[in-house]
Amino acid sequence: MADNEALLSVEELKVYFRSEDEVARAVDGVSFKVGREETVCLVGESGCGKTVTALSVMGLVPIPPGEIAGGRILFNDQNLLVFNDNEMQAIRGNQIAMVFQEPLTSLNPVFTIGDQIGEAIQVHQTAPPTEVIQRSEQLLKDVGIADPAQRLKDYPHQLSGGQRQRVMIAMALACDPKLIIADEPTTALDVTVQAQILRLLERIQKERSMSVLYITHDLGVVSKVADRICVMYAGIIAEQGKKDAVLKTPKHPYTQALLASLPNRDKRGQRLYSIPGTVPNPAYKPRGCPFHPRCQYAIQTCCEQFPEMCHYGDAHMARCPVIFDDGREN
Amino acid sequence: MISFIGRSIVQKIITLFFVSIVSFLIIHLAPGEPSQVDPMNPKFTREMVERFREEFHLDKPLYRQYLYFYRDLFSGKTISWKDNQPAFKKIWERFLNSLPLFIVGTILTWTISFPVGIRSAIFRGGIYDRSATFFSYLLISIPGFFFAYILIMFVVNQFHVPVIGMETFGIGETSGFNRIMDRIWHLLLPSLLGATAGIAVLSRFVRSQMLEVEGQDYVRTAKAKGLAPDQVHYKHALRNALLPFVTMFGLILPGLIGGSVIIESIFAWPGMGRMAYEAILARDYPIILTLNFVSAVLVLIGTFISDLLYMVVDPRIRL
Repeated sequence: MADNEALLSVEELKVYFRSEDEVARAVDGVSFKVGREETVCLVGESGCGKTVTALSVMGLVPIPPGEIAGGRILFNDQNLLVFNDNEMQAIRGNQIAMVFQEPLTSLNPVFTIGDQIGEAIQVHQTAPPTEVIQRSEQLLKDVGIADPAQRLKDYPHQLSGGQRQRVMIAMALACDPKLIIADEPTTALDVTVQAQILRLLERIQKERSMSVLYITHDLGVVSKVADRICVMYAGIIAEQGKKDAVLKTPKHPYTQALLASLPNRDKRGQRLYSIPGTVPNPAYKPRGCPFHPRCQYAIQTCCEQFPEMCHYGDAHMARCPVIFDDGREN
Repeated sequence: MISFIGRSIVQKIITLFFVSIVSFLIIHLAPGEPSQVDPMNPKFTREMVERFREEFHLDKPLYRQYLYFYRDLFSGKTISWKDNQPAFKKIWERFLNSLPLFIVGTILTWTISFPVGIRSAIFRGGIYDRSATFFSYLLISIPGFFFAYILIMFVVNQFHVPVIGMETFGIGETSGFNRIMDRIWHLLLPSLLGATAGIAVLSRFVRSQMLEVEGQDYVRTAKAKGLAPDQVHYKHALRNALLPFVTMFGLILPGLIGGSVIIESIFAWPGMGRMAYEAILARDYPIILTLNFVSAVLVLIGTFISDLLYMVVDPRIRL
């Protein structure tokens, strides 16, 4: 991916949450790019700042207590962080749409599906009511909902979880956005439905030539959908690169540990590997590399110096001073 | 739907039956006797007391008294022991007096607390929210009667208008306009005072309800669609925040009877609350029990209405 093709480019983004006596640095200098028609996965444990990163792109970080402490978010070469509320409203749902984690609670229970999809169309476009209904029906058809005319009259509680997530996706597609941010869209769904939703997203992305920023903690999902992967840990990007590069030749000890803790056939009968320790509290992050207390390869510098990004070619990079190759120690 | 209405009417009649037993027992368990059979009063001879007891069936066993009372109640023949007036007529007169107070008070409460609470929630933590919080706690903590006296003194000294009672004595002689203004002045203070505590409490409740809804995922979805803040707050959030108030709306009906004893006493307002209070002091059982029965009916009607309203406003509920 060449630089000039980047649709979304997040540069040194810092998002802090202030409370009375502490500052939680939820996102602490994150940079990555999403190219046109590309799927980028943000991977990481709960609380590593994936969702906050996504919300900042949408301009939905609650301020206060949140605060954008620095960086730029370039979308089509415009810095979204300097946009005012009206300008952001014109982008949201129109150019960038978001699909949320909890389909069960993300739809308003007191409005019909038709109201909610129609509203998504009408926010950004003027269309006569009959056309809005037609387009809503088409959207539902596109996301694979049977009998769309009838479903438009239903309320969210009358649909299953998978159907609701399809409705959320239909709503996100309403204005043909260039970028869809999917925040763990399959986490709340059961496995068969998960696979369907993944396939749906993939198909839609190809049909409509959109970019997708996919946020997940599920490496299985990542290996299916990603073109590129950004591994986040404690508010920073630990490693990023093409899917195969990151999954097959991980450079950062954290990525290696994540991959090692995946269950697979070869490890049948053995205890699953788990990373010792817990994710640091974003208000009290360790000095130096935030991963060093849990890292089995940590050396003295790791405790003192924030690691530089090391490049491994083909846009594959990792924030670790200790150079690894296929998990072998240097 | 039809089956729900039928079921709920049957349930409510059963409830009413138990309410009638319990309230009857409680009243008769209370110490003291009706003022007209007071044996301590030297004016009453033993024969007179006996005659009254017999006339009011007070010499019969309780279950007989119960049957007599509810037979009279349903045939509309209940009369007050104090002045031999038919109970329903007495209550109806007082009800008409209480009604304007109740209506104005309720309208004030509901129309003021909602905008205040909603704005507080939207601009939470801001200067508006903090002053609204301060004033509601102030209003909650000041006792109503104290606040009433301050207001009475202020209004009487400042505007030189009489505010006690329902109207100024002898105002009937003057022109229609003066009479209307007089009635309005007399109505204003008691209904405002009746509303203050309600406004303070209800606006806090509206605020917390709105805050809770603002944190819901669907509100975030609405924002993510690119909706303007007004639409997010007043369409998506408010519609959901209003749901619990439907229940409360059904329950304001019984407030018609008991809600305003203190205010009515302070302002010498001849309303139902005061009548109930006086009836209790006089052990005027028929009036107390009739009022009790009427308010029980009002509670049941209120819950029935709020059940129906719930079905209208919340699509998840099908009865």
